[in-house]
Amino acid sequence: MKPPPVSISCQNLTLRFPVYGIDAKSLKKHLAKIAVGGRLGSHHGSTDVTAISNLNLELKAGDRLGLIGHNGSGKTTLLRALSGAYEPDEGSIEVQGHIAALLDLNLGIDPTATGFDNIRLRGRIAGLSAKEVDARMDEIAEFSGLGPFLAMPVKTYSAGMQARLAFAAATAVEADVLLMDEWIAVGDADFQKIAHKRLLKLVERAGILVLASHDVELLRLYCNKVMRMDGGVASPVTDIKKLDELLAA
Amino acid sequence: MDTATHMLRTGRRGALFEYQMAFRDLRASIERIDLAWSLAWHDVVSRYRGSILGPLWITLSMGLMVLGIGVLWGELFRVSLQQFMPFVALGIVFFGTVTTTINEGCETFVQAAGMLSQTSLPMFTFVWRTVLRNLINLAHHIVIVLAVLIYYGYWRVANYPVAALGLFFLIVNVAWISMLVAIVSARFRDIPQIVASITQAAAIMTPVFWLPDRIPPRYHLILDANPFYHLLQGVRAPLMGLGVAPHTFAFLAAMGVVGWALVFSVFANTRRRIVHYL
Repeated sequence: MKPPPVSISCQNLTLRFPVYGIDAKSLKKHLAKIAVGGRLGSHHGSTDVTAISNLNLELKAGDRLGLIGHNGSGKTTLLRALSGAYEPDEGSIEVQGHIAALLDLNLGIDPTATGFDNIRLRGRIAGLSAKEVDARMDEIAEFSGLGPFLAMPVKTYSAGMQARLAFAAATAVEADVLLMDEWIAVGDADFQKIAHKRLLKLVERAGILVLASHDVELLRLYCNKVMRMDGGVASPVTDIKKLDELLAA
Repeated sequence: MDTATHMLRTGRRGALFEYQMAFRDLRASIERIDLAWSLAWHDVVSRYRGSILGPLWITLSMGLMVLGIGVLWGELFRVSLQQFMPFVALGIVFFGTVTTTINEGCETFVQAAGMLSQTSLPMFTFVWRTVLRNLINLAHHIVIVLAVLIYYGYWRVANYPVAALGLFFLIVNVAWISMLVAIVSARFRDIPQIVASITQAAAIMTPVFWLPDRIPPRYHLILDANPFYHLLQGVRAPLMGLGVAPHTFAFLAAMGVVGWALVFSVFANTRRRIVHYL
């Protein structure tokens, strides 16, 4: 059976964050609030912040979407929603294809475990079987360039070495849908060059790329479509050639 | 790659839909139970990295506690070691699993915050991680159980099938309690302390260190209404060659059904929110 083509479809997507005040995190205070008659607690300690409102988005294979917008405009939230972590409050998100979210490279990195163990763990979280991870281990190890250090606990690594490991492990899985929050640049100059090549390959293989970035040149380089977010409201998806108009708007 | 390649997330579509989604999460976690196992195994290995005995350290300290309490309290209560030592040993081992699974349950979602906020992994996976981690530790402590059963000769009279049934009920019930405290602790950060106090109180109120037949009949409610007593009795009594009162298994079965129904409803209603609690 042929799998359906890679696609992303968001319809009337609205996402609200309940803000649980520090107060609300204590059961005692929660109960105390009820006891005083709920004058302050009429909202049960949570205020909603609408992070994304009424967003519609259709992407198909070959689409390279750049997300621009100020801090707090909802870019990362959208990426997290697309990764399946956040549930919409209204509307729907449907994604066909295997998703890889390179949002936080340090996801699942355990500093006390060895480099090898961390690669294994990261691979397992990304959906590889133990066998598949083992099959890729040599390639990942070689790419990281860490050699004998992989048998040592990650806490003994320098920051740059940790970044190398995290990058090598995170980019080892092929994905149909690649979600990225800022183009990842890690390590020293040499590593940045090969890391860049590896990311490009990953992007080429992926059916769809969604990249959030503040770097206009970067977006021009990798994306063919662009969408601007403003306070949770998205502009229509436009061609990358119209990026300047979108920025001026 | 055998993971699901289709993801659908939608807004609320009524209560039935929320239950369906919760059930889907459960099913996905069972399809990927090997991931929960890997995480649990990783936890055990990484906690004891650099130590020679590994998890057997807890086994060792438990063994010393069993010896100390067995000898001293056996003397205080004037019970023969033959009867008291295996009683205390089994009590400490199995009750230890009950309390640590519940106490560590408080951390289940809080610890997984990073993964939950950027992947679509099933939330149940992390519940199984906590439960499996504790079962791996229990497997180490079985050394104590075997030593005592063999040394005092109980291995000949032990009723293993009934003990296995008791262990099954123990796991089923402890798992839902662990999940319940996981959800509530994510929302309210003072729950772990409350849970710790409750399990500590339970250790005193439950016949772990003292014999249930010493209790005067008018206080029998301490046994009959105490879920921890039934949890423990279902495993311990058959291993000591004693019968288990039918109402113990009835209690455990009812507790399992009601408990899971409760936790599943709580989960269905909070599933969307848990990631925001963290």
